Amino acid sequence: MSSWPEKLTVVGGSTKRVDTPAKVTGEARYASDVQPTGWLYGMIFRSRWPAACVTRVNVDKARKMPGIKAAVVERDGERVVRFYGDELAAVAGVSKQACLDALRAIEVEATPLPFVVKEEAAKNLDAPRVWPDAPNLAEPNVREKGDVDKAFAGAAAVVDGFFTTPVQLHHPLETHGNTVSVTNDGVTCWASTQGIFSVREGLASYLDVPQEKVRVITDYMGGGFGSKFGPGPHGGLAARLSQAAGVPVKLMLTRFDQALAVGNRPSSFQKIRLGADADGKLVAFDMDSFGTAGIGAGAASAGGGGGSGFPAPYIYAVPNIRVKQATVAINAGQSCAFRAPGHPIASFGMESIMDELAAKLKMDPVELRVKNDPSKIRQREYAIGAERFGWKQKYKPPGSSPGPVKVGVGCAGATWGGGGRGSQAEAQINPDGSVEIRCGTQDLGTGSRTMVGVVAAEVFGLKPEQITIKIGDTRYPPSGASGGSTTAASVCPAIFDTCTVALQKLQETTGVADARGANWLAACKKLGVNPLTAHGEWREGLSSSGVGGVQFAEVEVDTETGLVKVRKVLCVQDCGLIVNKLTCETLIHGGIVMGLGYALYEERVMDATTGFVLNPNFETYKLPNFADVPDIEVILMEMPERGVIGVGEPCTIPTASAIANAVANAIGVRVSSLPITPARVLMASGKAVKPGGTV
Amino acid sequence: MNPFQYASPHSVDGAISQAGDHGRFFAGGIDVLGEMKEYIASPRVLVNVKDLPGTRDISAGKPWTIGANVTISEIEQHAELKLVFPGLQQAAAEVGSPQIRNVATVGGNLAQHSRCWYYRHRDIQCLKRGGSTCYAREGENKYHSLFTGNPCISPVVSNLAVALAALDAKVIVRRGKDEVAMAIPDLYAKAWDNPQAHNSLGPTDLILRVQIPDDGRTSAYKQISEKASFDWALVSCAAAAKVDGKKLSKVRVVLGAVSPVPYQVQAAHEFLEGKELNDDLAAHASEIVLKDAVALDHNGYKVPIARALIRRTLKQLVG
Repeated sequence: MSSWPEKLTVVGGSTKRVDTPAKVTGEARYASDVQPTGWLYGMIFRSRWPAACVTRVNVDKARKMPGIKAAVVERDGERVVRFYGDELAAVAGVSKQACLDALRAIEVEATPLPFVVKEEAAKNLDAPRVWPDAPNLAEPNVREKGDVDKAFAGAAAVVDGFFTTPVQLHHPLETHGNTVSVTNDGVTCWASTQGIFSVREGLASYLDVPQEKVRVITDYMGGGFGSKFGPGPHGGLAARLSQAAGVPVKLMLTRFDQALAVGNRPSSFQKIRLGADADGKLVAFDMDSFGTAGIGAGAASAGGGGGSGFPAPYIYAVPNIRVKQATVAINAGQSCAFRAPGHPIASFGMESIMDELAAKLKMDPVELRVKNDPSKIRQREYAIGAERFGWKQKYKPPGSSPGPVKVGVGCAGATWGGGGRGSQAEAQINPDGSVEIRCGTQDLGTGSRTMVGVVAAEVFGLKPEQITIKIGDTRYPPSGASGGSTTAASVCPAIFDTCTVALQKLQETTGVADARGANWLAACKKLGVNPLTAHGEWREGLSSSGVGGVQFAEVEVDTETGLVKVRKVLCVQDCGLIVNKLTCETLIHGGIVMGLGYALYEERVMDATTGFVLNPNFETYKLPNFADVPDIEVILMEMPERGVIGVGEPCTIPTASAIANAVANAIGVRVSSLPITPARVLMASGKAVKPGGTV
Repeated sequence: MNPFQYASPHSVDGAISQAGDHGRFFAGGIDVLGEMKEYIASPRVLVNVKDLPGTRDISAGKPWTIGANVTISEIEQHAELKLVFPGLQQAAAEVGSPQIRNVATVGGNLAQHSRCWYYRHRDIQCLKRGGSTCYAREGENKYHSLFTGNPCISPVVSNLAVALAALDAKVIVRRGKDEVAMAIPDLYAKAWDNPQAHNSLGPTDLILRVQIPDDGRTSAYKQISEKASFDWALVSCAAAAKVDGKKLSKVRVVLGAVSPVPYQVQAAHEFLEGKELNDDLAAHASEIVLKDAVALDHNGYKVPIARALIRRTLKQLVG
């Protein structure tokens, strides 16, 4: 078992991102910035039908358009498209406009088919089937423990609720895409990805070339959040266009495309009943839920009830449980991983019903949670957070805030894994004292690059900016994809091991007993001409898994207009040994802002008549702006003895739940659907005029 | 977008003749370029009107004159305008983002087209675009009208129109050889009746300037949006009145984003005339304004917002 030194000087400090200058000057090259010689724009032609049998896609005219160098059909022969936005063909040309013009010259023969895009309609047995051989609604996954009915019968308090969460779209600021160069010598792909090796694997298999012939480079990328693992259909099409045109093709999706076909967070419709004894100890939980993962759901999808399932009753210990979860297929883009898959959905239903129970029992919501949450870590976090937030002073019974603008508070907890393993790395120490660390990980914008520098600097007694950090290239030693909050826990131990080995080697080779810090340059000089290299890998003992995290929110709700303004979010988060406090805190800020979007703004709107996404842009798919962001306070609960644990996901889980609970606490009525818009607040309060109604 | 010719005339006559029946005027470009990129509009010629003489000035007087090419930022930041017409300045400050306000113009803001998400969708040929159906009526209509005189339910979203209506402003439009002074209700009247109209302007009608009477009234504007910045109003409200203590006269109350026209009700103005404002009076006035509202499946929430905004905007008038 390896272990971190007791005394750490760089690790745990606040190191500014080593790549800030490159980013602010534009020197940093994102996948969308690279311009290899002769490159062309690529663009995708998509289905304009939510469902259709496509008999022919003809790109001949498109191929002959001015400036167009290649055009490919996504697949030959007759096929069925099942959502608006499904890929049908792609073109490459010398300008965006040339491609846009060519897309309009593509001819398609198709027979439209019936479709359904609303979850509740899709459940009906007579609804059009997304997949012909199976009903849209899958058989539910059922889990049962104890005697639920008996426990409810004996419960002192029982509460019921119906909660819904929307499909949330993936909108990283850098859209999905790649620049791909396919030549006889091999394939180079500059990818906007969370996993350079998974892109390599995907492209090699798609093109049927050996993996060693495929090089994937991700120097910088603009966010993925779970949606950028493989090359994607767009990556494959870019490769084929490059093959056809004989030059590199850059195919970055448009913001419109993003709303259709890059994955999303599934929706949920959760019917929940929760019972407790007179002391507030939970005795029974009953859930019947469904949701959609788009076309990748329902009875026809692998895993039956999978796709939009989520943990229930989430973080709480309940002796008697009955959970029924089903998915329903609709004619819409498929879901994929989305920052803490399942958890924000699970948290919203469960934490909402917990507050309903607290209100019924006339119990403090924090007290009810601590009583039923078996995690000792979260119990401590609630204590720390409640104290700092002033919970005891701020919490008032629901709806008791005076005046038309009411103030309320809420809280919620989260759990996540965050473990990681398997990374490898190498170090090269040069006789002039310069040192290079290479690792095939990638920086999603979370600060991974800086983290590599921090760990290396710690071991060598140097400053992070003295380390040359090489990441984001499949020519470097392999590391895993950056998903599941695994990167820190996987990469940091590998860097620590590599640098420790390198330091030992340096000391052995040069005879310098301690080559660190002030002795570094002198020791390196003794190497002579050849640099020293060392290889290392992830070791047990330097990282672990399993975090908690709790958040508190304070909101004001204008009961006349329904407008919710979040005043403050306080987060108490553990993540083991903190590698870099600054980027850890900013990562959590980002998670909270994303949770704020889920709470108040974001929702994919499908139109039942046309089957289209109605809000495929930032005008109507609403993301938080800076003006919406509240005062955010992060308290990191340091547990260095646990080693490094990832924190990218847990920090976004409880935000929406805490905000929703604060809204309910303010107005005394629960808005049980996300996002909590003025419309929903006014409807829940009974103030909105009913359809067809007049004043 | 489709190819187009670009013209940059230096006279109004030149602009009008170059626009013809298949051209569009181009100032800030915020609205027309968006339509062109989505292939909603494909003008044969884009006529840059930014170089037309005398269209970039704000001049005090009776009336005040604001050129069509004055940017929204210039209104927002004009110190004197802010004192004389606070409602107009507040309406300007809520437009888009700073970047948009820096290029968007008064003329463009008034003449902008529907933001209905069916109308703006590249693959939907809705009623407003010459199709046969208003999809919003039975569909997703949370952002749509409570009042309309035609089957299309997309509302007017110009902030300035709402504020200028309250101020009894006149929009000076060049129509053929004549300069026509159109009150705000006239500027939008056609949109009330005609589902394909965004306003009453013909393809070669060009907004030259806006005249606002400086008649000693004060004004106010408020809106509620889902987001704190860079978002359209769910409902907006402008009011203007002569205020004597708490007594109101020459009152105007106008709602935006609830109708294809800036929505006002004469009976409400008459009701408020000469009365001292208090909460009950404002509430009563709001009921008069909202009397004919018809809620669709998803927009009934706009009624309580409008009610609150009318009360608050009137209250702001008396300080």
